[in-house]
Amino acid sequence: MKSNIWKITWSVTVWEFNRFFKWMDLVKGALLFAGFAVVGGVIGAWASGQAIQPPKVAVADFGPFNPDRFEDSFIQFQDGTVFSPDSLESLYQEEAIDGILTISDVNEASIRVNSDRVWILQLEQILNSVRVDYKLELFDLDPVLFDELTAGMTLAKDFETGEVSTLPDKILAGVAIFLLVMAVFMGFAYQFTAITSEKQQRITEQVLSAISPQTWIDGKILGITGVGLAYVAFYSVIGLLGMVVFIYLGVPLQETIALVNPLFLITFLMLALIGTLMWNAFLAGIAATIDDPNTSTKSGFMMMPLLPVSLAFLTLANPDTVAMKILGLFPITSYAVMPARMVLTGVAWWEPVVALILIAMTAWLFRILAGRIFAAGMMMYGKEPDWKQMLRWMAKGTETGQTDSGNQPNA
Amino acid sequence: MISFHQVTKQYSRVRAVDELSFTVNSGEIFALLGPNGAGKTTSVRMLLQLIRPDFGEIRYGNELIHDRKLDRYRIGYLPEERGIYQDSPILKTLVYLASLRGMSTEEARSSSLKWLEQFGIADRAGDKVSTLSKGNQQKVQFIASVIHNPLFAILDEPFSGFDPINQEIISGMIRELRNNGTTILISAHQMQLVERIADRILLLADGKELMSGTMDELREQSGAGQKLEVRFSELLHPENLTENDRITTVQDDDTGAWMVMPKSGVSLNDLLQIITEAGEIESLHSSEANLHDIFIQSFGIKTEVKSEE
Repeated sequence: MKSNIWKITWSVTVWEFNRFFKWMDLVKGALLFAGFAVVGGVIGAWASGQAIQPPKVAVADFGPFNPDRFEDSFIQFQDGTVFSPDSLESLYQEEAIDGILTISDVNEASIRVNSDRVWILQLEQILNSVRVDYKLELFDLDPVLFDELTAGMTLAKDFETGEVSTLPDKILAGVAIFLLVMAVFMGFAYQFTAITSEKQQRITEQVLSAISPQTWIDGKILGITGVGLAYVAFYSVIGLLGMVVFIYLGVPLQETIALVNPLFLITFLMLALIGTLMWNAFLAGIAATIDDPNTSTKSGFMMMPLLPVSLAFLTLANPDTVAMKILGLFPITSYAVMPARMVLTGVAWWEPVVALILIAMTAWLFRILAGRIFAAGMMMYGKEPDWKQMLRWMAKGTETGQTDSGNQPNA
Repeated sequence: MISFHQVTKQYSRVRAVDELSFTVNSGEIFALLGPNGAGKTTSVRMLLQLIRPDFGEIRYGNELIHDRKLDRYRIGYLPEERGIYQDSPILKTLVYLASLRGMSTEEARSSSLKWLEQFGIADRAGDKVSTLSKGNQQKVQFIASVIHNPLFAILDEPFSGFDPINQEIISGMIRELRNNGTTILISAHQMQLVERIADRILLLADGKELMSGTMDELREQSGAGQKLEVRFSELLHPENLTENDRITTVQDDDTGAWMVMPKSGVSLNDLLQIITEAGEIESLHSSEANLHDIFIQSFGIKTEVKSEE
């Protein structure tokens, strides 16, 4: 019956993980989704096959333009001048043609069609092109000269920091932040459910008589973080499978993936992992003080992890401001701001290292503070502690005498 | 095994436990009794180190100490506030709770099945707890508290939620635990059951000890060695019964009979005189006071009866 804190923490971790991670349900859900995707794909292919048929447009009047100019395009133009207006109308009514184009003069034309269509934009481009050619001929202008006049200017970008990241790196940073937010929010939801239901089902006293609040919350933080990360990993695997399918179909994704900087990948993963642990520790402490999640004002804390993400967007404007440099290191915001800075500007090697150290220290501190709040909050029924009380618990601990490291009993 | 020495616990304006001292000896069933708010649960929580006493000290026997710390693996606890993971299978829940008490998975699994077999619900081991009746859920909770064969078990209201038959089964199991070496501290309201299984009893009132000892010692301390059940053909002076400081009386609402118990120092002759002066006696029956009578006498039910009248 000999045991130790690590073993018990692991027991709690496994229990909490298994309580909420139902992989069979997840697989069933994914298969159902895949089934819908296949059915939707088949229906979509059939529908889009019809939608992308080249439209047939009869030109009732070419105006000043040469009919030869209307050949060789996505739209199938037909010479409508060979038909009488009544015959043309009959063809339109029988849906043998999709529209009737009438060009009044060099500047005006009209298209008769049942309703707005996507290909009308292409028709406008064709008409503009035909009109430009017509005008060049009319004014006897050299097309080469025209191209020269209308050509844009090339601007070479000479960055002091050099080319810090590739497009795949930037996509990776975006995906990493998205997945982290997903893991944190899933963890939040399960942490709330786990802790508030244990309070409501009066399970706490029995567990706390066996293990210390700190051991219990440690196991919960690890287990629930595991659930969030497992879901993210599952969806990542689904995404990778999708990429494999695309590569198999000939899309050169492997060349794009090869451009990803492995150091970025490792840094993002570590920030994501420790960031999720930090937020789950934070939330476990908050959840322990909630008596009824439906009415508690503390439920609003669920939105807090969105703050760093919104700050990360500010880096797009200028990632090199003092504020962004500080927020990239500040543990509450670094998990989103640092990856954004790393792919947008040059970052000194020590900055991600300091960010990782600080976020790890904060996660540890949150764990201790959450343990202190948890110890008292879990035994409190019917009312919620106020902020003053919570701060007092955080500063001095609670009145519980129980720790696994042991309060010295009077033997 | 465990002793309280002048232990005090104050909650804002309420003194839940007030300089309380008692000792639970190895191998006994020790009952903690008292009305609601007497300090039973606070005492138990301090004993489990869930809360700290403000003053005084709690001493633990060497058998409950490991590496100079309280060894919670050797303690079992059935809290008054019951709850169990509703959405988890019964066996998995028991194995998990046992693992928190230091049992290996194999030990916990085989012990769980043995206990479930004893309670006749082994065939439900794979079902979710929520599918069980309330009584059967209580059994699962009882198992969770003693599955690891603790040296010391605290059972707070172990009979609540059970029908009389299951109450008998539970009381039998508590005795069996004691016989197998587990020291038990019990808190319950079922006086008859407590009287039958407890070796010693502590009556608590307002966080203080009112009296303690074996049943015989309690009878002696309370003076309620005998009780008289009296029926009056004509009750002339009810105030002689209800307003007399030398006796404790309770009238049975259904039969109209009066239970009369002398307080300490009051002789049977004096008692008979008080009764005969109250009215014409129709019948008189004498018996030994039980725990229920002592409890009622100690906590002043007489006053409540008087106020109802």
